[in-house]
Amino acid sequence: MISYELALPYSLEPGWLAPYVEALQKGRAMGRSCSKCGSVSFPPQRRCQCGSGEAQWVRLSGKASVLLRTHGSDGTFGLVQFEGATNKAVTRLEGFASEITDGHLIAPPSDVPALILAPSKSRSTP
Amino acid sequence: MAAVTGSAQTRFSRRTDGSSFRDWASEAFEAALLMATLDRADVDTLIVASESDFFTLQLNPAAILAGDLGLVGVATMRVEGGGASGQLAVHAAAQAIASGQARHVAVIGVDPSASQLPAATIKLLYGYSFDAWTDGMTGTSATALYALSYQAFAARIGLPDKCLDQIALQNRANAMLNPNAHLPRQHKMAEIADSPLIASPYRRLHCSPLSDGAAAIILSHPDALPGARGSAPRITGIGAASDHAQLGARQDTGTFTAKRKAMQRACQQAGIGPADIDVAEVYDAYAGAQLQALNVLGLSETLQADLDAQHFAPEGRLPINLSGGLLGQGAPVGATGVAQTATCALLLEGRYHPELQPKRPLRHALADTHGGVCTTAAVTLLSQADAK
Repeated sequence: MISYELALPYSLEPGWLAPYVEALQKGRAMGRSCSKCGSVSFPPQRRCQCGSGEAQWVRLSGKASVLLRTHGSDGTFGLVQFEGATNKAVTRLEGFASEITDGHLIAPPSDVPALILAPSKSRSTP
Repeated sequence: MAAVTGSAQTRFSRRTDGSSFRDWASEAFEAALLMATLDRADVDTLIVASESDFFTLQLNPAAILAGDLGLVGVATMRVEGGGASGQLAVHAAAQAIASGQARHVAVIGVDPSASQLPAATIKLLYGYSFDAWTDGMTGTSATALYALSYQAFAARIGLPDKCLDQIALQNRANAMLNPNAHLPRQHKMAEIADSPLIASPYRRLHCSPLSDGAAAIILSHPDALPGARGSAPRITGIGAASDHAQLGARQDTGTFTAKRKAMQRACQQAGIGPADIDVAEVYDAYAGAQLQALNVLGLSETLQADLDAQHFAPEGRLPINLSGGLLGQGAPVGATGVAQTATCALLLEGRYHPELQPKRPLRHALADTHGGVCTTAAVTLLSQADAK
């Protein structure tokens, strides 16, 4: 048996995703608006489903509604729909009671661009 | 059409015997070569499937294995496509034969997914096999992504969670008769339903284990078959397809669209349809993934009724995962697809583990593998040499 530990200190450049990553580190949502069909993707897609690669970065509200959720020892995650986005996203759900479906993006605890949703309680109370 | 002249695998398990992935690759290769009645000098191409250098701590593993196997000088390559790596390697080999470039190709799938790194580290690495910039950085687990996809599927079809228990129960029961299986178990339904919740609805016993092991096949050109292997099964159709890696980018979260396309492409090449399949090894990294696969492969339109009627059991009309699948036999990632194809070939030849070998003759078999949440799909159809 050989015990061997490998440390891998990556320096990851986000490239075309830089506006998304930088905004996310502050808890903000930057999506891509297709110049051809107007679809907005968040998380951003480099090429729109319509086929066009021309797009502008747009700021979204960061509000989202939870469509599906899973919980267990791996944590709580949801398939969510961000306000203003055409596609859906998978995010971590933090502090979501089962009846809460509305949330908003929050800044991750480190500078890692994690997608974390916190509940927007006021909007969900019947 | 390429003939599968040799098929073999090691035991799939968590190894504690001091052996390494290089030993397992060698064991599987030697057994496949023996079955093929070929000499190593006959092999002109080596294709290795291994999912990640992180697992083996060996970049360019095909070059190292060529040396270990006494194959230095042959053409070598490594094929990778996440969980589909092994099946994609089979496809690459079939294409090498079809092109006329190769006469005898050794395909080896191998991964030390269990014993070389802690399970938590493997889980972290698997998180980067989806979209590293969104899913990976968020810490989303494979189980959570599969769970969300299955939820959408189950809601659309109207499947109760007990179907997950039925799949886990059947596959692990099949594994009881497979001496190479990692998790042979005669589960009770309550045991599965009471196992720890990982990502709802998935409980621990709905998930495949991390395994160590290797599998190997030898594919031969039909003009170069050894005399004793003229009736070896043929690979009659291969199909591969892709989907968005991000679950949220898909039109339908619960449908394995790439698998449907891969199946259509394989069927078109083979000139057969889903109704012609006699036996199948279907990708069951999670119990629900098998249900999603059966649906898009066109093997079942009434899943719950078919499960209740035991249609997919060893004595049923379409035995699925006689090996135990990933749930029962285990999942050394790179080896998985190669082992599925080896299993199908052995079944067609009537040379599978005796207690699992169906009594009736089999004409067509299907091996289905994917990577990601069916982001990369690879389907292989095998038929008897004398089939149309």
